[in-house]
Amino acid sequence: MDDDVAITVDHVSKKYCKSLKRSMLYGIKDLGRNTLGLSSFSQNLRKDEFWAVNDVSFEVKKGGTLGIIGPNGSGKSTILKMLNGIFWPDKGKISIKGKVGSLIEVGAGFHPLLTGRENIYINAAILGMTKKQVNEKFGSILEFAGIGDFIDTPVKFYSSGMFVRLGFAVAVHSDSDILLVDEVLAVGDRDFQIKCYQKMHEIKKQGTTIILVSHNEYTICEQTEKCLYINNGKMKFFGPSEEAINLYIKEMLENKMRDFTGEEIGKLQPQKKAEIVSLKFFDQNWDEISFIESGQELNIILECIMREALHNPIFGINFYDNSGFMYCANSDYENVTFEEPLVGKVRVKVSIPHLYLPTNNYLCSAIIAEEDVDNLIDWHNMAYKLVVGRAKKARGAIKLPTKWEIDNQ
Amino acid sequence: MAGIISTYEPDNSLKKGYFSIFPEICKEIKKNKWLIYQLFKREFSATYKQSFMGVLWAFIIPLVSICVFIVLNQSGILSIGDIRAPYPLYAVLGMAFWQLFSRGLVASSNSLVNAGSMIVKINFSKKSLVIASTGQSIIPFLVQFVLVVILFVYYRITPSIAIVLIPLMIIPMMLLTLGLGFILSLLNGIVRDIGNILSILMTFLMFLTPVLYAKPKTGILATATIYNPVHYLVSAPRELVLMGTISEWEGFLLSTILSIAIFVVCLVIFHLTETRVAERI
Repeated sequence: MDDDVAITVDHVSKKYCKSLKRSMLYGIKDLGRNTLGLSSFSQNLRKDEFWAVNDVSFEVKKGGTLGIIGPNGSGKSTILKMLNGIFWPDKGKISIKGKVGSLIEVGAGFHPLLTGRENIYINAAILGMTKKQVNEKFGSILEFAGIGDFIDTPVKFYSSGMFVRLGFAVAVHSDSDILLVDEVLAVGDRDFQIKCYQKMHEIKKQGTTIILVSHNEYTICEQTEKCLYINNGKMKFFGPSEEAINLYIKEMLENKMRDFTGEEIGKLQPQKKAEIVSLKFFDQNWDEISFIESGQELNIILECIMREALHNPIFGINFYDNSGFMYCANSDYENVTFEEPLVGKVRVKVSIPHLYLPTNNYLCSAIIAEEDVDNLIDWHNMAYKLVVGRAKKARGAIKLPTKWEIDNQ
Repeated sequence: MAGIISTYEPDNSLKKGYFSIFPEICKEIKKNKWLIYQLFKREFSATYKQSFMGVLWAFIIPLVSICVFIVLNQSGILSIGDIRAPYPLYAVLGMAFWQLFSRGLVASSNSLVNAGSMIVKINFSKKSLVIASTGQSIIPFLVQFVLVVILFVYYRITPSIAIVLIPLMIIPMMLLTLGLGFILSLLNGIVRDIGNILSILMTFLMFLTPVLYAKPKTGILATATIYNPVHYLVSAPRELVLMGTISEWEGFLLSTILSIAIFVVCLVIFHLTETRVAERI
């Protein structure tokens, strides 16, 4: 293990058992085998077992930050628990240098009947602090928790916010070389959240290695340099956080898109005056796409067939989200006149120089109307899918072009 | 701290061999002394805090069983036998030593299960947890000893000077409890039946062991008592307090050796397999 590496995870897998009865049986069997000095052959799957984490490898440098992202049930928490040594891998090897602290469900060791003060000592001991350390930091813990006189009240009479604050206060004071954080930052009120982030920042500056699991891509992007993206226990990507998050959002949205069944594109009906044939999306280089980053140039080509000559046709392309909320409607009826009526094959090109839609998946409707936008001739309602991904360097849902003028007066 | 490398891989402890694990265990216990104390305090408060009588319950439970025995004896349903001491004193002392074993074993076998939510969230020494739970039986033991002192004063009997050896005499009992507690807590963590079986077995075992009656001289029970290590661990310290001598010292010695052996074997098994219990608890 190199000197500057804090964590090495080498082809690690972890299996779980789906059946409780079998889990009991396997548990006893494994205990027996280990007692007798036999290997438990944990690399093989038995009946009802599955890999919750499958062949994951990564490395974190000392003082580095790593984010772990992935959908629910992808194995994020299992990885954290293995890094913490609570669960042991069934395959592969984890090497960790230094003391590991965890912010996984803070206040886990609290006893409801004991006062806040007593619980601070007990929780600190469970988290591996010495008596001396706790005595030194007691004031700081108390101040961070900010629960005032309640410190001598049994924890069972605390509000859930106070409970978490006290737990968090103890956990962040447990001087570790590596800190595992799991979503706890999402609890507490705004002021407390800000306090938590400040504390995290402080801890990071002290050179602590931080592993952060979160569903908030903004948090991950801000707080971590590198990111591990896992899905179904398998490693999908390990690299710079920005790239990992963009890939994650793209895949998640595309997956959701596949699940969503929009209305079927209507069959061509001969009695119509005009029909929509297709609608396709292109990027700035005119390559066909179904995914675009927010703020990029989007080109759309709408192809239709006019069975009769139309004098005042109206073309429209509308963007909806999955819930059916219309984000924007784009029609050409404003200030467009056709010198000659359109007939036969028609190709409509629409250019949107900057598609400032927030990260989401969208369903497009294509519309042909005559004279008035409500006088529909053909309408493909929410039939074309487009995924809008996160803009590079964005710190919110969209990144707007800005011009800054600063006068020093 | 920063230099310590922890390695997690399957069958990790098997690769190290049986003998290198003893220093590891000693180091772990030494490092976690304060944790053991805090866990002990936590469980103690949990048991007695939300209760008006608190630790006084330790008086009441043995007193009730003893009263039942006195009534049964006086009405001639069963005979307590030849005990050469006031019966309440004999019984309370017996119960104190017996409960050191039974309470300790029940508490330690439930220790991992009761702390299940903690075990799956924080990585801390599980041995400390079992030790702290086993130690819980010390509190009622001390309370019952207060009762013993009251009885000595009441009957105007002077206990043997050997009473000062009691802390030493209960060590084998504690080791036996702790050893069995290590194994049973692991098994109970995986299969909850163990806890239920144990509480039934404890009641049964108490009547099988001469705790509240004198050692029978004939019959199946007499034979069973000869092979019952718990009998020697209860009767030897009791005789020492009441008479100042131990009549069955060979039995006590053998039981002590057996207790130490059980303790060591169980501790090793616990150390080898404790990493597997968190995921099944």
